[in-house]
Amino acid sequence: MHTTDDPNRVVVRRRIPAPREVLFEAWTDAEGFRQWMCPGDVVSNEAILDVRVGGSFRILMKSKTAEYEHTGVYKIVDPPSKLVFTWTAKATGDTPTLVTVEFFAAGEETEIVLTHEKFTDPEVSKRYRGGWGQILEKLSIYQAKKVQQ
Amino acid sequence: MVDYSQRGLDGVFAAIADPTRRAILRRLARKPATITEIARPFAVSLNAVSKHVKVLERAGLISREVMGRRHVCRLQPTSLKRATAWLNECTEFWQTRFDALERYVAGQMQTKKPTGGSRAHNR
Repeated sequence: MHTTDDPNRVVVRRRIPAPREVLFEAWTDAEGFRQWMCPGDVVSNEAILDVRVGGSFRILMKSKTAEYEHTGVYKIVDPPSKLVFTWTAKATGDTPTLVTVEFFAAGEETEIVLTHEKFTDPEVSKRYRGGWGQILEKLSIYQAKKVQQ
Repeated sequence: MVDYSQRGLDGVFAAIADPTRRAILRRLARKPATITEIARPFAVSLNAVSKHVKVLERAGLISREVMGRRHVCRLQPTSLKRATAWLNECTEFWQTRFDALERYVAGQMQTKKPTGGSRAHNR
């Protein structure tokens, strides 16, 4: 399901009918970000964003039963075209991952390309360099076929 | 996103980071094999292959059955499936965030739009 040529990454694209400036602001304005960065069962969300290179952010999502903290540091802040930050959460095994958000003008719309790379820690990335995503998928497809046979 | 560490995926991703180990998995995906059979196409020692097999075994990616002097290795697809599922959930997470972003931005555009103004005015 993850569509990417490079198996090291998860790439998600979306074309949204709004100018790049509006979208970039939605990613960098704490109030706006708090509102839409709010998955499924999350009932409240706090966001503190210090949007500058080396600045950090903290998002605390609260559901009725749990709290999910997401933290990171901005690496590239290039309005309105590019935003790169580390992303650490329980869901990433409390290991920093790297998220690159690119905003491409497409007429009156904007195409957003989000790349989520795992294991950006230099020590870890050395070990993880390799096309695990694709290989995993191929192997599981292979296994699924085998089970069906 | 579902917890990554709870699923013990660290070991899985670390195990498959190595190209030789991935080749071993591909080999075992075809059919179970002994360590000697696995080692045949590789330009590394039997001992080195044996170490790789141990790493894969610890990660739960393969199982080993000892039949006398023969150690037959088999692919265990569950860990692989969990890892693939995690990747898919990661994609799903961002897809649903984009849905919310799209709704949020549509609202922003409504409030920001000057009366009778076109989108071009907002650029």
